[in-house]
Amino acid sequence: MKLGGFDISASGLTAQRLRMDVIASNIANAETTRASFENGRPVPYRRKMTVMEPIRADFRDVLKGKLATKGVRVTQIREDPSPFKQVYLPTHPDADENGMVHMPNVDLVKEMVDLISATRSYEANVTALNASKAMFMKSLEIGRQ
Amino acid sequence: MDLPGGASFERLVGALHAASLRQQVLANNIANVDVPHFKRSDVVFEELLAEKLSARPDKKLPLKTFLPGHMPGGSPVPEPRVVKDRSTTFNHNGNNVDIDREMVLLAENQLRYNLFVQQIDHEIRMLRIGITGR
Repeated sequence: MKLGGFDISASGLTAQRLRMDVIASNIANAETTRASFENGRPVPYRRKMTVMEPIRADFRDVLKGKLATKGVRVTQIREDPSPFKQVYLPTHPDADENGMVHMPNVDLVKEMVDLISATRSYEANVTALNASKAMFMKSLEIGRQ
Repeated sequence: MDLPGGASFERLVGALHAASLRQQVLANNIANVDVPHFKRSDVVFEELLAEKLSARPDKKLPLKTFLPGHMPGGSPVPEPRVVKDRSTTFNHNGNNVDIDREMVLLAENQLRYNLFVQQIDHEIRMLRIGITGR
């Protein structure tokens, strides 16, 4: 049996939680100067972003005039190509000849705003899920003595 | 009173199906609130039903047929249809899901669904009283 809206809301919850995980990773690595090494030089952490896409229904459902998309999913986690921040820290172990250190291209303010957006979207999906659940419970009352 | 299978009962069941489908559509809109270029969908049922009712002068649904000799009446209750709204943009990224509106529609649809369930339950209850006398 198919319960209307449960899996759709669940896919929204999964996607938003993954988005929050990625944001948490960005915040945690806001000062990471050694994410990898290139030619012996440390390369800082690159900010990561999620790319979301609707889950498309199969052709039969579209033909029948049913819902063409069935929820959402994260298709890829992409790296932000914007340049690294340069900070003058001559005593830092990863500083170059001029005393400059490459810092991750993570903007904490941007991450916090994204985090709030993800939280609100997560809550919206929880509300939709609760509404579906309440409706399903209500339909069990049909024909009850 | 209509027996289950009668025109009014069938209309109620059709409306219940439409409300259940609308719940899925709204949940889908909410799940895709952050997806660029996503366009929201909605369900048309009430409009189709009103159109079908107003097409006849007596404001009644056409007859239901179940034998080949019967006169054609068409389906008594219209099928709910999912339509996509491609004409608007609400966000800067081409997405047109207004989360506040979706939440209001969600609450409204839930109440509507409860109403239909209650009405169907009431019809069955009346029928049971008619059969058992209590």
